[in-house]
Amino acid sequence: MNTAIFAIIKKDFRSVTANRRLFASLLIVPLVLTIVLPSVFVFLIHMTPDDPDIQSLLNLLPQASRSSSLELTVTGLIINHILPVFFLIIPIMTASIMAASSFVGEKEKRTLETLLYSPLTVGQIFRAKVLASFLLSMMVSLISFTAMTVVLEAEIFLLMGTLLLPGAAWIIILLLVAPAISLIAVTLIVRGSAKATTVEESQQSAVFLILPLLLLLVGQFSGVLLLSGWILLILGGVCALLAWLLLRKAAEKFTCERLLK
Amino acid sequence: METVILHHLSKTFPGGKEAVKSISLSLHEGEVFGFLGPNGAGKTTTVKLLTGILLPSGGSCRVMNTDPSREPEKSHALSGVVTEHAQMYDLLTGLQNLIFYASVFGIPEEEGRARALFLLDRLELSEAADQKLSAYSTGMRQRLSLARALIHRPSVLFLDEPTSGLDPESALNVNRLIRSLASEERVTIFLCTHQLRYAQEICTRYGLIDEGSLLAEGTLEELRSRVSDAATLRIRSAGIAPEVLSELSLRQSGEGCFETDIRSEEDIPGIVRRLVEAGSNIYGIETEYPDLEDIYFSLTGKKKEGHS
Repeated sequence: MNTAIFAIIKKDFRSVTANRRLFASLLIVPLVLTIVLPSVFVFLIHMTPDDPDIQSLLNLLPQASRSSSLELTVTGLIINHILPVFFLIIPIMTASIMAASSFVGEKEKRTLETLLYSPLTVGQIFRAKVLASFLLSMMVSLISFTAMTVVLEAEIFLLMGTLLLPGAAWIIILLLVAPAISLIAVTLIVRGSAKATTVEESQQSAVFLILPLLLLLVGQFSGVLLLSGWILLILGGVCALLAWLLLRKAAEKFTCERLLK
Repeated sequence: METVILHHLSKTFPGGKEAVKSISLSLHEGEVFGFLGPNGAGKTTTVKLLTGILLPSGGSCRVMNTDPSREPEKSHALSGVVTEHAQMYDLLTGLQNLIFYASVFGIPEEEGRARALFLLDRLELSEAADQKLSAYSTGMRQRLSLARALIHRPSVLFLDEPTSGLDPESALNVNRLIRSLASEERVTIFLCTHQLRYAQEICTRYGLIDEGSLLAEGTLEELRSRVSDAATLRIRSAGIAPEVLSELSLRQSGEGCFETDIRSEEDIPGIVRRLVEAGSNIYGIETEYPDLEDIYFSLTGKKKEGHS
């Protein structure tokens, strides 16, 4: 039945890419967050003269976070401690657009019943919907990461004469923590979408779900990054486990009758 | 072989509405079963129960030896459904829609494309194959839905008002397709409609439903014999003597028109002979058997529209 699940994912992708305005905003917002904003930071750091106050602030940081110059230390801080937080926000934000309308959008267009007449279980359709939103979010976040790395490294090389490669924590964040958290959010939003009666209702409840999650993440995550990579790895593992459990359990109670209500 | 079985199937909605009341039926391979009744009689609910979209509140049903309420996905692999609630994607073309549903049924893309093109041609939609569905008329959508339901060569086809919104020519074409599916490919057709005259053209057996209950089922002849054995013999004649009228129980139904109830065709020669012997001139004779509408209204005790 993989052909069927793949077909649903492909169709859902197409519904987003066919809407050019939606697709453009889906790419532009992450690119602004990961290219324009960090570039402004890098230029500002380069322009600012060495400030003893900033120096004393930096002295509070662990030894490992410090570099040879103040400029490189601050830039390194931004790259390794501030920007990763964006990569937790971007996938959730991107996925929520598609996930919120996943079921209820089909219900409104009266295509859900047709999909339910397929030889797939409700659980398989649910997982196909989650996967579609999840893959889209991962795609956007990987494109953003690649674009950000290329642009920032070029800027840093031109302004400071050296490269400042992202730390190892990035790999854990990009490949484990962000996907796991994104999968949790997507599963919850798709579940909300399956229960909602209108797309608006689903989008509103998605925002209600996402905002506290985002605030919690943004508030805490920079601190977590100061701790060791192991803790990040464990945190990612726990989130991944939670996502897996949620994905398995979320569709259990749904029947065709309940979905079409 | 029994393909669809309903055993005391019932559905009561949470609000307390009993939409289907203990219906028992069985359908055989290759038959076109007309499930007939007015709007709101419970036809669509029955189709939803048979396709696993709704869960029964009592009784059970089986489709090709699968239980739609427990394993709807297995029933869906063997059945196709056309209802007005099951639409397709507006942003895809007719062909893309069919290829999508083919892949949902696990058919490889190339095979799905070939099957889709064949069905589009069969339903006279080839010219619109590359048009987006948003440009399709209601009738075209309806025909595409039928193509979609047939994409995986189902053994059972559930059709809910399949010709509503179709022009007469398309309806004729769809009817031809339905008949040939049943007779040549041995597909069982469960056809719901409120258009009794349409059903009589195409179905081989009927079930009449009203307010959730099955009133009667059987072939047209079986249903006729349930209602009454009588057919009406209409005679156009002149100069029938009053005593012959009363002897043959003839009633005058218009200027020079008479009618009487007969039990079988065997009664006709005797009546004609008596009229000729009595010196009456006969200009025309026809026998009218009760049609589905007459049977339906006689079973429900309701009055036929347009009749007093």
